[in-house]
Amino acid sequence: MAKSPQTPLSRTSRLLDLVPYVSAHQGIDLKVLADVFDVTPNQMVADLTTLWMCGLPGYTPLELMDLSFDSGYVTIHNADTLSQPRNLTIEESIALLLGLDLVMQSLPADREDLKSMATSLIRKLSLQANLLSPLRAEPHHNKKNSAAILLAISTKKMLRIKYHALYSDEVTERDISPIEIRYENSHDYVFAYCHTAQAFRSFRIDRILDSKQAHASASVTGSTVSEASTISYSLKLRTNQRDVMERFNLGKTQMASEVTSRAFSPQWLIRSVMASAGSAELTEPRVIRAEIAAAAAAILQKYGES
Amino acid sequence: MSRKIERLINLTIALLATKRYLTKNEIFTSVDGYEGSPETKERMFERDKDDLRNLGIEIEVGGFDPAFDDEAGYRIKSESYQLNIGDISGSEVALLSLAAEAWRGAALNEAAQSALIKLKSIGVESDLDAIPNISPQLRTPNADFEAISLSIAQRGVLTFTYVGKDLELQKRRVAPYAIATRKGFWYLAGLDLEKNLVRTFRLDRIDGQIQAHKSSPPYEVPDDFDILNYLENLGESETATLDVRKGKAHLLRIQALTHLDKGEWDQLTLSYQDQSRLIESILWHGDDVLVIAPQELRNGVISALKELAHNHG
Repeated sequence: MAKSPQTPLSRTSRLLDLVPYVSAHQGIDLKVLADVFDVTPNQMVADLTTLWMCGLPGYTPLELMDLSFDSGYVTIHNADTLSQPRNLTIEESIALLLGLDLVMQSLPADREDLKSMATSLIRKLSLQANLLSPLRAEPHHNKKNSAAILLAISTKKMLRIKYHALYSDEVTERDISPIEIRYENSHDYVFAYCHTAQAFRSFRIDRILDSKQAHASASVTGSTVSEASTISYSLKLRTNQRDVMERFNLGKTQMASEVTSRAFSPQWLIRSVMASAGSAELTEPRVIRAEIAAAAAAILQKYGES
Repeated sequence: MSRKIERLINLTIALLATKRYLTKNEIFTSVDGYEGSPETKERMFERDKDDLRNLGIEIEVGGFDPAFDDEAGYRIKSESYQLNIGDISGSEVALLSLAAEAWRGAALNEAAQSALIKLKSIGVESDLDAIPNISPQLRTPNADFEAISLSIAQRGVLTFTYVGKDLELQKRRVAPYAIATRKGFWYLAGLDLEKNLVRTFRLDRIDGQIQAHKSSPPYEVPDDFDILNYLENLGESETATLDVRKGKAHLLRIQALTHLDKGEWDQLTLSYQDQSRLIESILWHGDDVLVIAPQELRNGVISALKELAHNHG
C-alpha cells in the first residue's frame, strides 16, 4: 500500500532521503527506486524533477544538482551537501530498537556471534537516540515451532504436531499441512489442513508443544471448512470484574448485569464460568447451569466439604 | 506546492553548506524562492523553520556580532543533520533489515521503513547470507502506540483512563519508562505520578485516547530499569502444592517446579504471586486439580466452589 505521497512535508522528507539513497545506488532502475520509497514511478519522476531544480545558492548549472533519469536509470552528481543519510528520528530509533530486541531473541541459540552483534547495535542506537531504558519485545511463542511452521508453509511439507487443546485439556498428536499464519485476538494461529481430523483447522501457535516434519506427504482431501455449531448462553454478572469481562470478551466498560452471547464449545463455557467463581452466574442453558452446580458440589466433596 | 518543497530543500542545502551563520537578509537574497514584501518573506521563513524542525532538522541560531547589527544568524550543523553510527557491516545491515521487517503491518511500519532507507544509504549492502532465515513479527493493536513511544523518548508525561480490577475507571498520570510485549500483550511501565511508585499497565486495558504532555524538566528514567524483569518479579512469591490428574492441566504442568508421580495423580509444586489468579486457573481445571497446600489457597478454592454451587443451585 503506497502511503499518501502528497503532503509538502512528507515529500520534502522523501526528497532529502532520496539524494543519499541514489548517491549510494548510482544507476538504480527508476521502478526499483519507486518501490523502495513506496511511491508510483510517476510520483518518483515528479520527485526527481523537483530535486533537479535544487542546489546551492547561485543556482547556475554549477550549483544545481545534476540528475539524470530519462533513460529509466537514475544517477545523481554534484549533490555533496545532501549526500550523507539524515539522522534517525526518535520514532525511527524506537522502531529499530524494538525490532532488534525481537530479532535478537528469535535468533537460534548457536548464533552467539549475531546476538552480540545485535546487542552492540542496540547499545549504539539507544545512546544516539538518548533512550536509556531498554525497549523490550519478547517473541510470542517458541521460535523452534514457528520456524518449523514457516518452513512447512514455504516447502508445502506436512508437519506432525503435539497440540494442547485448551478446552478439552488434552494433548493430541496431529498431522497438519500448514497454509498460513493468521493473527487474531492478540494471538498467532496457524491455519492448516488437519489430516487427523480431515478438515481445515486453526491452531494457536503458543499451544503447539512440539513439532517435527512428518515423513509421509499427504494431499489435502477435504475442501470445506468444518462448521462448528455454537450454543447460545446467558450470563448474569454479579460483580464488576475486569477479568470476567476479558474472559468472556465483553466490552471493557460494558456495565450490563445480564449478557447473552454465543460460545463454540460447552467445555469452554463451563470452564470460564467456573474460573469466574462468584462473579458470574450462568442462567442459560439450564443443562450446563446444572452441570456447573454438580461439578462444584463434586469437587467440594473431594475437599471433604459438602 | 512543489515551489515550497524546492524552497525547503534549497534552504536546507544553504544552511548545511555554510561555514558561518547566515542572516535572514542573506537568506532572502541568496536562497531561491523567497519572494514578495519583507513581511511575506518573514512569514515564509518562520513557517519554513517550523517545518524543518518538524522533520527533525535542528536549525542552530547564533552568530550575534556586537560590532554589527546584533542580528541573529542561522545554520544547520552537519553533525546533527547526519546519521552517525560509525562503521557498519553487511551482516549488521541485514540484522537491521530484519528488525524493520518485523513491523510489517504494525504501528511503526512507516518509521521502520524510512529508517531502513537511511541505513541502506550508507552504501553497505545487506549480507542476507550471513543471517539465518527467520522473520519474527511485532503486533501492535493499540493505535496510541506512537504517542507512547515518542513520550518515552522525550521523557514526557502521559495521561489516560485505565480500567481497574473492579472495572472502575482510574485517571492516571504516568512518566513512561519503557514498553514491552510479552505473551501477546503490550505493557507500559512508568512512574505513577500520583502514587510516586513504578507501575505497569496493559495497553489493551487503557480506555479511550492517551494524551501526551511535555514535561519540563524532562523526567529521569533509572538507567538499570528492565521492564521484562520487572514484569516477571512483581511482589513476593509463594509455593503451592497441587494434585493434578495424569494427562491433564497442561497449563499448570508447564509451570511446575517439582513433580512427583502418585499413580492416577501427579503432585506438583509451583510458585505464584497472585492468589486470586491461581484460584481462577485451578477452578478452570475443574476436578482435575486439587489444592494440597497452603491452607489459605485451599480455603480460597473451597469458598469459590461454595459460591458457584450456591449461585447455580
